[in-house]
Amino acid sequence: MLAQDDFFLAPGIEWFHLGPVIALVSGALVLLVVGALTPRWPRGLYAYVTALTAAVAGGLAVFNWNDITDDGVSTLVGGALAFDTFAQMITITVCAATLLVALVTDDELRRAGKDGPEVYALFLIAATGAVVMGSANDLILLFLGLETLSLALYVLAASDRERPTSQEAGIKYFVLGGFASAFFLYGIALIYGGTQSTNIGEIIGSFQTSVLLDGKDTLVLAGIALLIVGLGFKVAAVPFHMWTPDVYQGAPTNVTAFMASVGKAGAFAAMLRVLVIALPFHRDDWRPAIWVLAVLSLVIGSVLAVVQTDVKRMLAYSSISHAGFILVGVEAAGHNAGELAPGDGMPSVLTYLLLYSVLTVGSFAVVSLVARNNGGDTSLDAFKGLAQRRPTIALALTVFLLAQAGVPLTSGFIAKWGVIQAAVEEESYAIAIIAMVAAVVAAFLYLRIMVSTWLETGAESTEREAVPFSTGVAVFSAAAFTLLIGVWPGWLLDAAESVTTYAK
Amino acid sequence: MQAVVLAAVVPTTTYYLVLSAALFGIGATGLLVRRNPLIMFMCIELMLNAVNVTFVALAVRFGNIDGQTAVFFVLVVAAAEVVVGLGIIISILRRRPGATADDLAELKG
Amino acid sequence: MNGEALDFPILSMLVFMPVAGAVIITLLSKRRPEYMKLVAAVSSVATGAMSIWLTAEFNGHESGFQFVSKHSWIEQWGISWHLGVDGISLFLILLTGVLFPLAILGIDPHNDDPAKNKPYLAWLLLLEAGVMGSFMSLDLFLFFVFFEIVLVPMYFLIGGWGYEGRVQAATKFFLYTMIGSAFMLVSIMATVFIASRNGVGHVTFDLVEIAEHAEFAASTGRWLFFGFAVAFAVKVPIFPLHTWLPDAHTQAPTAGSVVLAGVMLKLGTYGLLRFGLYLFPEASLWSRHLWLSLAVIGIIYGAIAATMQKDLKRLVAYSSVAHLGFIVLGIFAVTSQSITGAVMQMVNHGVSTGALFLLVGMIYERRHTRQIADLKGIQSVAPIFAAAFMIVMLSSIGVPGLNGFVGEYLILIGSFMSARWYVVVASTGVILAALYLLWAYQRVFHGEPDEANKTFAELKLKEAAVLLPFIAVIVFAGVYPKPILERIEPAVDALITHVEDKTGYESPQPAAVATISEEGE
Repeated sequence: MLAQDDFFLAPGIEWFHLGPVIALVSGALVLLVVGALTPRWPRGLYAYVTALTAAVAGGLAVFNWNDITDDGVSTLVGGALAFDTFAQMITITVCAATLLVALVTDDELRRAGKDGPEVYALFLIAATGAVVMGSANDLILLFLGLETLSLALYVLAASDRERPTSQEAGIKYFVLGGFASAFFLYGIALIYGGTQSTNIGEIIGSFQTSVLLDGKDTLVLAGIALLIVGLGFKVAAVPFHMWTPDVYQGAPTNVTAFMASVGKAGAFAAMLRVLVIALPFHRDDWRPAIWVLAVLSLVIGSVLAVVQTDVKRMLAYSSISHAGFILVGVEAAGHNAGELAPGDGMPSVLTYLLLYSVLTVGSFAVVSLVARNNGGDTSLDAFKGLAQRRPTIALALTVFLLAQAGVPLTSGFIAKWGVIQAAVEEESYAIAIIAMVAAVVAAFLYLRIMVSTWLETGAESTEREAVPFSTGVAVFSAAAFTLLIGVWPGWLLDAAESVTTYAK
Repeated sequence: MQAVVLAAVVPTTTYYLVLSAALFGIGATGLLVRRNPLIMFMCIELMLNAVNVTFVALAVRFGNIDGQTAVFFVLVVAAAEVVVGLGIIISILRRRPGATADDLAELKG
Repeated sequence: MNGEALDFPILSMLVFMPVAGAVIITLLSKRRPEYMKLVAAVSSVATGAMSIWLTAEFNGHESGFQFVSKHSWIEQWGISWHLGVDGISLFLILLTGVLFPLAILGIDPHNDDPAKNKPYLAWLLLLEAGVMGSFMSLDLFLFFVFFEIVLVPMYFLIGGWGYEGRVQAATKFFLYTMIGSAFMLVSIMATVFIASRNGVGHVTFDLVEIAEHAEFAASTGRWLFFGFAVAFAVKVPIFPLHTWLPDAHTQAPTAGSVVLAGVMLKLGTYGLLRFGLYLFPEASLWSRHLWLSLAVIGIIYGAIAATMQKDLKRLVAYSSVAHLGFIVLGIFAVTSQSITGAVMQMVNHGVSTGALFLLVGMIYERRHTRQIADLKGIQSVAPIFAAAFMIVMLSSIGVPGLNGFVGEYLILIGSFMSARWYVVVASTGVILAALYLLWAYQRVFHGEPDEANKTFAELKLKEAAVLLPFIAVIVFAGVYPKPILERIEPAVDALITHVEDKTGYESPQPAAVATISEEGE
């Protein structure tokens, strides 16, 4: 209630708890400022600084997590940021993905002779945006986080100045992203109109005290509708998905990996903050909409994925289908949002985001290796004979694809099991079955890639893919993580269980 | 229906809300029908500013400053979008003068 | 002799031994193919030896699960690593343990590049681990994991080492089975949650706990059963869902076909027993006429379709559809004899059809064709080969004195008490089986060999060594099935008692006083 105070009381700033954000921002600033003032850094130092920054930020989030376990949740900076395990989990997800993407980007850029600090700084800035989205306790801050993420992503998508497709991806992403942001913002404005505040804690309070203003309900409902449209664009849910295949295909592969992991994690974090945490009192209003989005994304994402011939495009459609899966979890979270026993929806969504982020970065890392070998060709033909040329890389790709298909003993299975279990627990059988059948359709797509990789032989002239050290490390650790979680998921599920206690 | 009731209480706020909704609608429609990247870009700005009108009107009505602070942030964001958007548009137009959204169709599937 | 006392975690070892072999093979250098074969041999033979030891140590008088190994795995979800063996799964485990070393050592994949052996052997061993795990899991989650994981190695085996249409066949196989699994997954979760609210009291995936304590409302139980049933019906495969089978069998490499027919199809029928009848007795009985009808249709359809095949391997594949129909008939007739017969027949079918695929594979290796029309008069150039084929074929037909007879006879006798008219129709399937197999034999082996078949090589020593265990089992189980039946029976009786307790169903008692184990003699 800052606005009503008679005198201005400066909010306390818990510097250490803001550590992850500060680390990411300072990493970006160091890259930009120092990078601009010094001659080109040698041997991929830019990438390692980025990776280190992400690692530090992730590590700080783990410290924060321990603090939260000990002292409970709270809000930071005058109620603007939430300090809870939800925020830390998103932070860790974002940092892990950023770290992997930085490693993949390194030789992608150096090989093309385009190494420089800008791309890495943008990665870190975008990551900051995603972290803020995960921690925001105020809708305006959420919007700022969203824009920080999106603006950096627009530039990143267009960052390959030599390929017209990259520019095209950039402009398409920019126009539709701006469109979506405007919807999102308008939604915030209308929620503000209905509740007199943009602070999530106060929004919840306004529903609890339930002073019914005239027209309040209409404004809130309209606001929810607009927010869902805006968020639907950002998470790439059908029918707001049209930009996804074009942008994923056109953007440089490492940026696509970043979009599919960090972008998605941030957008879903925002969705959970807005819908599940801020608007539990309207859960029966927004849940059906999420249901419809989930089903459409699952079905259309999977079906359209199957008819593609370009692997990046396939993975784009598969990311839409994955968004559908995550929405199943959101829908499940909607059944008991705001209650004392909130169910497994939220933990399952956050687990899915973490596991999917690692998976998808790994997949795109392999795609970037193959594409580089074929002059940027990412069609299925480019993958033919990969198993003969690079069996280890082919094996890693297979692990990622099987995980995306949800085969047991991989992390993807744990992720899928989590959301389906959350849905079944709420007795949403229909959506659970639709999701599983869609997963089978999508499995066909992953099989097609595997067939190209293992069972078909490539042109004799194709050289072996070069596997540079940093990409190799990224692919290997992502694959190891995928298998590790598949066999031993207990600790992660344990951790994820605490995210339902949120600060507000 | 609800808007009419609202109008009986504080007539002026409703007008602003309707105005901003109209502006937002114009912006959204423009973005969907126009093909010039620059004009599409202006439509986004129009949409953002329409929201600003809503924020200010509501802030005045509620008598708190949340809405007005929001406007400042939105302005900054809009400015940042200008920088990014124009940058991308210019780099495209430099390569292909007079390009419209329909020309950008290398990515299809 | 009591299995519980065994302090060696033999069941877990049965799963991990092949996995270890697969991992070592993956890590070996590609330039040392001979080591790969050695590792594969050691790990699969060791697994086989352990399965034999398990059978020897198994306490035949006890009806419950033995050698139980239980460790908490994913505590948050109530999931544990829970393995156990009873009379129903014992011989399937033994079959798996013995079949795999034979398939791995006895059959070379038909390709010239020894480096490609590496993934081939690794996939086979992983497949063995998956199948073993499926037969031993007493935890729904664990079962699903194994049930689903077997798809991956099989997919690659068919797709990588199969024949012309392999990719399409492999994809079809994978997707069909996955569709079934999709329903099962949702069903498993719903079962667990509904059970936790009705009788069990906490969230657990433990099969025994749910089966003993959960009280499902009739309609709920039926829906849940439906989810499981779809998955198993695809796997068996039951009549309208069988179309993946002939393709997968025909296109798979010989070892793949042997394993597919030998043990993987049993996952479906085993699942119907363990996760159908045991977990949802009410729903199983309620839907039994549907199952019986489909089983009988499968028997007749499979037989007729087999008669019309021109490809020897396809013929055997369709004969599998018919045989599996008998097993399903036995299961859903729900009498002690019929189920004992069904379990016995699962093993028999594994042995005889496995051997048939092996023989067809040998024919293909020699002649590079499986078309019946291209083969002629082999008997006169390769009499021993023909004799081996004859024995295996007679076992598949169900001639008295060989193993096929015991199972089929028990199924028909047992089912006659509870499903009389189905048995009458099914019996014609026995005659049809004789028809299509003997006719095929006549066309392939009789007559004067033409030019191409003149040079048909006689059975080699190595091939004979692989075939010998099959034939030994065929004859032994046909002449003296008692040790097998008396181990199966207590578990089956316990299952029937469980069904009766839960539903008030009364299984018809055999009129004759003679005990089952003596009837086969």
